[in-house]
Amino acid sequence: MSGKKKADLKVIILGDYAVGKTSLICRYIDGKFQTQEPTVGAAFFLKQWGPYNVAVWDTAGDERYSGLSHFYCRSAGAAILAFDLNNPKTFESLWARFGSILEAANEDCLKIVVGTKVDLLEPEHREITIEEGRKLSRDLNEHIDIRKLPHDPYFETSSLANENVQEVFEYIFQYCLPLSADQKKRHRNQQKSVVDLLENSEEGDKGKKKCC
Amino acid sequence: MSIKAFELVSAIERVKLMSDKAKTQIECMDVCGKNMYIGTSDCFVVHYSIEEKTQPNGRVTFVSEKQGHKYLVVKKPIAQLRAASALNRIMVLCDNTLTLLNMFDLEPIVTGAKIKSVTCFCINDNPVRTNPFSVEICVALKRKLIQLYTVTEDRLMHLRDISLPDQALAVGVDGKFVCAALSSQYCVVDTDNSQFTDLFPIDSDQIKPIIKRISKEEFLLSGPSALGIFATSAGVSQRPPMQWSDGLTSVSYVHPYILAMNDEFITVHSILDQQQKQAIPFQGGVVLGDFDGRIFVASSREIYSLVPIPFEKQIQALLADKRVNEALELAKNANKTGMTRDKFVKMFKRIQQQAAFIEFCQQHFEEAGQLFRDSGIDVREIISLYPHVLPKSINFTRSVPPLHEIADINQLSRSDEKVKAAYKEFLRTFLEDIRGTNLAHGYKREVDVALLKLYAESAPERLCELISVDTGCDLDDCVEWLERHGRLHALGLLYQRHAENDKALAVWTRLADSDSPDPTFPGLEFVVEFLSSLTDHELLWKYVDWVLEKDEELGVRIFTERPASEAQSERLRPETVVDYLHRFPRAVITYLEFLVFQRRLEKEKYHTHLAVLYLEAVLRLMEGNSVKKEELDIARSKLRHMLQMSSLYRVQLILGKAKEKDMHAECAILYGKLEDHDKALRILVHKLKDFGAAENYCQVNSHGKEPGYRKRLFHILLSVYLDPSYERRDTLVAPAMALLNSSVAEFDTVKVLQLLPDSWSVGLLAQFLTRAVRSSMHNSRTTRIQRMMARGENLQVKQTFIELQRDAIVMNDERACAVCNRAFNDPSFVRYPNGVVTHVHCAKNKYICPVSGKLFSAGRTR
Ligand SMILES: Nc1nc2c(ncn2[C@@H]2O[C@H](COP(=O)(O)OP(=O)(O)O)[C@@H](O)[C@H]2O)c(=O)[nH]1
Ligand SMILES: [Mg+2]
Repeated sequence: MSGKKKADLKVIILGDYAVGKTSLICRYIDGKFQTQEPTVGAAFFLKQWGPYNVAVWDTAGDERYSGLSHFYCRSAGAAILAFDLNNPKTFESLWARFGSILEAANEDCLKIVVGTKVDLLEPEHREITIEEGRKLSRDLNEHIDIRKLPHDPYFETSSLANENVQEVFEYIFQYCLPLSADQKKRHRNQQKSVVDLLENSEEGDKGKKKCC
Repeated sequence: MSIKAFELVSAIERVKLMSDKAKTQIECMDVCGKNMYIGTSDCFVVHYSIEEKTQPNGRVTFVSEKQGHKYLVVKKPIAQLRAASALNRIMVLCDNTLTLLNMFDLEPIVTGAKIKSVTCFCINDNPVRTNPFSVEICVALKRKLIQLYTVTEDRLMHLRDISLPDQALAVGVDGKFVCAALSSQYCVVDTDNSQFTDLFPIDSDQIKPIIKRISKEEFLLSGPSALGIFATSAGVSQRPPMQWSDGLTSVSYVHPYILAMNDEFITVHSILDQQQKQAIPFQGGVVLGDFDGRIFVASSREIYSLVPIPFEKQIQALLADKRVNEALELAKNANKTGMTRDKFVKMFKRIQQQAAFIEFCQQHFEEAGQLFRDSGIDVREIISLYPHVLPKSINFTRSVPPLHEIADINQLSRSDEKVKAAYKEFLRTFLEDIRGTNLAHGYKREVDVALLKLYAESAPERLCELISVDTGCDLDDCVEWLERHGRLHALGLLYQRHAENDKALAVWTRLADSDSPDPTFPGLEFVVEFLSSLTDHELLWKYVDWVLEKDEELGVRIFTERPASEAQSERLRPETVVDYLHRFPRAVITYLEFLVFQRRLEKEKYHTHLAVLYLEAVLRLMEGNSVKKEELDIARSKLRHMLQMSSLYRVQLILGKAKEKDMHAECAILYGKLEDHDKALRILVHKLKDFGAAENYCQVNSHGKEPGYRKRLFHILLSVYLDPSYERRDTLVAPAMALLNSSVAEFDTVKVLQLLPDSWSVGLLAQFLTRAVRSSMHNSRTTRIQRMMARGENLQVKQTFIELQRDAIVMNDERACAVCNRAFNDPSFVRYPNGVVTHVHCAKNKYICPVSGKLFSAGRTR
């Protein structure tokens, strides 16, 4: 895929090796869950959001690439910090490693904390509570007015079961590139690639009324 | 994954280097037009001419000839060498000193301009200044400094210094941005304001820093873990990295390929998907470079060129591997190779079509459909893959050279019925989609016939619409196909569509008579509907019998539901139809009702006929003994409605029968028709005792008549009420009073008073009298007002008349008629209110001035 089209928003996903970053993006972009080759350095996807182009950057969690992560973060408007809900170490990494990497991102970069693989989680063995996740998400976003957000930027997802994946991205896009209700509807239709005749005709009517 | 994008071709087999000592090696080179310059390890600059020749078989070979050489005395290797053809100079870096040589005789320039302690340099291909006779370069010094220079024929003009935190190991430049590799990281410097942007760290001990300018404001850098990383001047990346091999020494780029060389291989990556496409074994490579789009590679003593395989070939190779997406991606980029737009579009469409058939073979129907559409395929190419689906009479030969190697879908599905069905389903949806679009343009028949055949097999419910709405289906092989699949209703429709009504009807009668009907056939009703709008009346009669025998009530609709716009025809004259329908009692009634009530034919014959039929029906019901009352009531009310509504039937005829059977209500209506109101009302009052009906009778029968008539009727009714000869007349006092006081009844008061028995008290009549007096007063007053108003109007007219007469009009010889312009010979003439004077015979209309067309209100003279 060529990256030449200038993107209106850059979203980057960070997190430890094998927490499921690539799977999350693939679920969103391709709508599929498939076994991923380990990501080399970084990978890149373009996504249409209403009239906007969004570049979604996937990074490799491996330590040896961490210098690169810094570079790939530059001018990101939003960052997804992913950890594996079943592995507390990956949560700690978010504090320890990835917070600083994000200094290269935009100042007002929105940070979303995402706990992955919720399908594997057994509630009685849960080690990271929802409240801890939420708190981290709030702490990371001290620089922005969190009241503008519909809720804390914290999600628990499963790429396997397609849970909450769409929501993560729409949450980001709607915050960074707000669409009107109308545009959003059209965006959905675009994705379904179905023409909603009813809606169109309604619009036509509206236009007519105005001219009278 | 692999693709053959380049071919290694020898350019100069064994460079005859100056000193034949074994260690003499190629260190660097540059190619500029037909000139090739080589820098050696023992301080020679050698000049060759080199020319590319394409053999008739498409092979590329090179012809070279040595032009001269120069020894630079310092006995050090030539580190870097670049030609600047605009200046006729070559820039040479040797022993950390940058100098200029004449491009042709390789002599140093007289001014002796040079820069010392240079580690490396590069030319700015996107210079900030636009003087064509100068070149901008960036040099990295041994100190922590880089410098910008403008190079002219004989000068190296220093522009600015930029100090760095560390020594630069490699530099790249684009516009005002310099990209530099320091020992531990890459950075971008804005030379205007010396602003640094860190890119990412590297360990220059492990990895040789490489900076390759890719395009405007974009560099390709060798990164950690053998990644090739793209970075813009702004310090961000717009493409994902590439996985290279270890130990790279140089990188070059010809769209869309990135070539990278290490000690053993030259790898080729596509910049489009960042994937490796080819690996060319090449031992001991020293230099790899792109020079105006040509790629040369040198080992220590030999020089080769990497000749690009034509796009077309690469694409065909990909297609042969069924790598559709890569082929298309590559094809899309082929227009950057200088093809004309038309040629490109043609080539691209063909590749899309090939790709589409590849997807088709793999049952990737969505992709195939999209590609077929995008490529504007000739639909017959697709249809022809389905045996017997193209119309027989069409001679279609598939495109040459072939787009695919498919025989037909039987071959593809290997007789797996499920797969075959999937292929058919694809064709069906595809054709439905393109129907009416450009893609189907000119092939309407092929498309529709194919759809018909597919529907006949698996979707009979859709046949009807296909055939009925502007179809391209002809009769040729469709008839046979539909018969074969038992789609008889569709066959009928198809005949109808082609105006073969007789054949269509033959099919439908067959269907209606058969025991195992076609589920899409709506039944007899459909045939009736068809006949009722059939313009061929001769043909119509052929089937009427058949229909009516089956269902007379339905059948009669053939006559009653004819299109309003249909012209009258001899064959469908009402007489003819009525005569014909005699055999079908219910049908004839329906038909007569249609004539009388709907068509409103005012013919006594039909009205009487219908009335008689109604009457007969009633009589039949009356004679039957187990008849429900409601049924009889309905029949009678139908009859009464008819009797009341129509005035055209023969009253006496009906009346005779009605009297005989004591049908009082009917008799009352019939007497009414004879204007024998007294008799009628007597029946209503005495026999039926229905006073409301009596009152209603007066209203109905006076409807539309002069006002006196209504009064007369009410008066008759009153007389009936008050008839002294009627023995039970006391029972009628109350209705009589009610009538007098009724708000609808109208009376001549004087006559009423004469009629009333003297014995009635005034009190009893108070209400009636008050009302009578009041309305009489009212009448008198309104009449007076009318009289006065008429008088006023009369006066006004008189006044106008006098005014009009007051002015004298002089008539003499000079006076001519305003219309014909001739003199007046008669004493009488016409004068219009606006003064226009004409002959009497020229005044055509006294309200319109013949000259000005002015309209005079007719009201003024009234
Ligand atoms: N059960 C489960 N497994 C997941 C999920 N997401 C990813 N995985 C698995 O986790 C592994 C690592 O995924 P990957 O996307 O490559 O992680 P990355 O290194 O962060 O990009 C793979 O084996 C995935 O199949 C999830 O939501 N549920
Ligand atoms: Mg990954």
